Amino acid sequence: MSERRRERAVKLNVISEPKDSYTGGPSSLCPGCGHDQISNVIITAAWENGVEPHRIAKMSGIGCSSKTPAYYLGQSHGFNTVHGRMPSVTTGAYAINKDLLYLGVSGDGDSASIGIGQLIHAIRRNMNMVYVVENNGVYGLTKGQYSATADVGSKKRKGATNEIQPIDLCALAINLGCTFVARSFSGSRRQLTSILRAAMSHKGFALIDVISPCVTFNNNDESMKSYGYVKDNEVTLHMTDYIPHFDPMEEVEVPEGHFRDITLHDGSTIRLETISEEHDPSDAMAALAALHDAETNKKHVTGLLYFDSSKPSLAEDLDLVETPLLDLDDSEIRPSKESLDALNAEFLS
Amino acid sequence: MDAIVNDFTLNIATANGTGSQSANLILLDSLFEMGVPVSGKNLFPSNISGLPTWYILRLSENGYQAPGDRTHIQILVNPATWEEDIEALETGSVVIWNSDTKNKTVEREDIVSYPVPMTKMARKINPKLAKLVTNIIYVGVVAELLGIDQKCLEDAVSKQFKGKSSAIELNIQALESGREYCKENLTKSDPFVVEKRERTEKQFFIEGNEAVALGSIYGGCQMLAWYPITPSSSIAEGIIAYIPKLRTNEDGKTNLAVIQAEDELAAAGMVIGAGWAGGRGMTATSGPGISLMQEFIGLAYFAEVPSVFWDVNRVGPSTGLPTRTQQSDIGMLYEGSHGDTQHIVLIPGTVEECFEFGWIAFDCAERFQTPIFGLSDLDLGMNKWACNGFEYPDIPMDRGKVVREKEVFEAFETFGRYLDIDGDGIPYRTLPGSGMDPILYRGTGHNPMGVYSEKPEDYHNLMARLKMKIENSRDLLPEPLTREEADSDIGVIYLGSMENSIQEIDDILLEMGHHVNQCRVRALPFHSKVEEFIRRHKTTIVLEINRDGQLYGILRRELPNDIVTNVHSVAYSDGLPPRARIYANLIDEKLKEVNG
Repeated sequence: MSERRRERAVKLNVISEPKDSYTGGPSSLCPGCGHDQISNVIITAAWENGVEPHRIAKMSGIGCSSKTPAYYLGQSHGFNTVHGRMPSVTTGAYAINKDLLYLGVSGDGDSASIGIGQLIHAIRRNMNMVYVVENNGVYGLTKGQYSATADVGSKKRKGATNEIQPIDLCALAINLGCTFVARSFSGSRRQLTSILRAAMSHKGFALIDVISPCVTFNNNDESMKSYGYVKDNEVTLHMTDYIPHFDPMEEVEVPEGHFRDITLHDGSTIRLETISEEHDPSDAMAALAALHDAETNKKHVTGLLYFDSSKPSLAEDLDLVETPLLDLDDSEIRPSKESLDALNAEFLS
Repeated sequence: MDAIVNDFTLNIATANGTGSQSANLILLDSLFEMGVPVSGKNLFPSNISGLPTWYILRLSENGYQAPGDRTHIQILVNPATWEEDIEALETGSVVIWNSDTKNKTVEREDIVSYPVPMTKMARKINPKLAKLVTNIIYVGVVAELLGIDQKCLEDAVSKQFKGKSSAIELNIQALESGREYCKENLTKSDPFVVEKRERTEKQFFIEGNEAVALGSIYGGCQMLAWYPITPSSSIAEGIIAYIPKLRTNEDGKTNLAVIQAEDELAAAGMVIGAGWAGGRGMTATSGPGISLMQEFIGLAYFAEVPSVFWDVNRVGPSTGLPTRTQQSDIGMLYEGSHGDTQHIVLIPGTVEECFEFGWIAFDCAERFQTPIFGLSDLDLGMNKWACNGFEYPDIPMDRGKVVREKEVFEAFETFGRYLDIDGDGIPYRTLPGSGMDPILYRGTGHNPMGVYSEKPEDYHNLMARLKMKIENSRDLLPEPLTREEADSDIGVIYLGSMENSIQEIDDILLEMGHHVNQCRVRALPFHSKVEEFIRRHKTTIVLEINRDGQLYGILRRELPNDIVTNVHSVAYSDGLPPRARIYANLIDEKLKEVNG
């Protein structure tokens, strides 16, 4: 291929960046790992949304999932923090630079066990970030122990069947008033991409719980988080399409059946096309019922479960100046000498 | 009977939550207004209401600020500690007591007794607020007995109840009632009086925590993350209180974010996130909080993230004595987190230094790209100390080696986040969002380029550089303060709030025949001048408020072998602020043991 032909073949996004600008280093996860599929979706979603790659901050905790920021968005700064504590580091960074897109990736151990407190409080604050849980029901790096999201009756490759009630992170998030709650599957590339793109357009905490099978420890037929089981038992709430604000016509056909458009904070839209029964994502009870039904029937329900654009995000709560604090001049953050003289005088009076 | 002027100790025994704190502060403030050298210490329980509280007022012509050896005037309002408070008194002491206290009386013949029907008098003034008013009545009695100036007293009341005219009126009425009762019913038969003094310099009272709060604000703090814990909460609350005045624009928007975290782990994470993003973040906590933050402290050290942590030390281990003072977190701060670590610790000993180290901490954090600890304690942080005023930072902010412009970045031949280009152990950094040298910060092993590495030479070199970086900070940190007379061969090294007892300790030692020189360590790793001080003395005592001699342990490990045996530990702690005589006696014993 000549140099010229290659150039012509490269597709550019809305800010004229090739997809290569969004890729990362080679993965060191097991071949076939669901997490690598999610990394690819992250690359695609960021590229298609036309986010400047250096304006993204990649955040993670500890675990297989938390290693993945090395494998995508090589032009973005990132922070692989400590186990379960990525939300607090992100919150501190956000207070200093609220203009970055914070993209957190975590796992089920990181989020549902050691980090559940921080996850809960980041949701409470409606911290402005995308929080992806790569959920496989087991601890990988420590060789296959059950995590707190393992389903009752599920059995991993080695060991006994899990009988302990799982923590459903989506149900938890809805109960906490999380403003964007979705579940997806690493094998559902199209659905996951549109949901992730929508989450990037959301202002507030966007939780995406992605079932992402562990091919090494938890992909046997008796496991309820194996590829085979999830494929056979996925209940899809709706077909999802993302329509970006900068290109409303982008590759989206108007569906023939019933659909519902939801406008996101940046003016983009997520379109939910009804499959059999319509799901109203503003109805928390309906979302919880869908999750409950799926659990009772040993199914996995996917789609945009809950959405609420009315709540103030942490930015509003902090009442900060418009300019990110990072960009303020030193003279703006150190009060004047006169102010200290006045204070001293006041203390003396 | 010769009068004893401005040189005695009052002990006020009340119950927590009865409003006695305002009464005691009025007493403290009015004496201060008169120019009487006075200090106050609040010994309070971990309790909202009901448990015993003591307030100790020390008047001292020598300017001694530690609680004295004994109580001269005991004020008894709390039946719960009645008998033990009376029993502790030496012959010739004075008791002013609430004679309306059920089944309680004062029967000792060898002390001066002033019964006052405080409850009845208080009820007469305001039945609903009788409990509160009782406290002001004893202030009135004390004022009359000691001769406290009425104007100073009224000024102190106005200061205490800023602008609340009904409260001011009520308090002044109660004061007068106390004075009147005294004039009509009591005959002064004790020697204790106060006299006005001309103060050479203007001073005001302030708590160490408020000074740290102000220092942090003038240090350009941009994010405060905190979790409430005694005795540090008033640092965070102080910052919050001053934000509207000092860090808020006309449109009501602020440039100092405050986040009350879910726990100390999260507070530490937020501080590190802020530093990573390029801002000035801090938290304030106490020992239990620092214990929880250990993992994050290691991350900040290893990934080299500027961050500021204030520890207002209380008595440990565990929940310990949460409302008592100690210097016992020195070792934990200096070597915080697992693995080989070493941290910079700034240790103020006065309220002026609390302010100064408040802003210096941020400069150090950004300059050395590492966690910086401020170590205060409950005594310094939560008691009021005389202050000469705060000095405005005399140097511009040190933002450290941050590459902000593309041209600067491109001028580097090779850029690596952890590449020691200048040979001082401090690498250059770029910030998230800048697009320059985007790396994934990590707590895992990394090479100079910031890439994951388990190579033996990468790990070894990184740890050696981190060691050098902190080692190089020694002589750039606040240097020790020394008071030396040429003819003495005994040195005393001490730190922090012991500053407020050292002069009295020194005077007692002098009476015992020991001439000692003093050296107050103000930062770790310790300055080379500390070693020089030790070399100038045949024997050096390291004096600290803990059991194990933590500072002594650090010195012993780091000093050259030839002088290690000249250094000896005197460490003592019982939860109370340091009483000079206890430490002087221990030093005396140690010197006898060492020098025969």
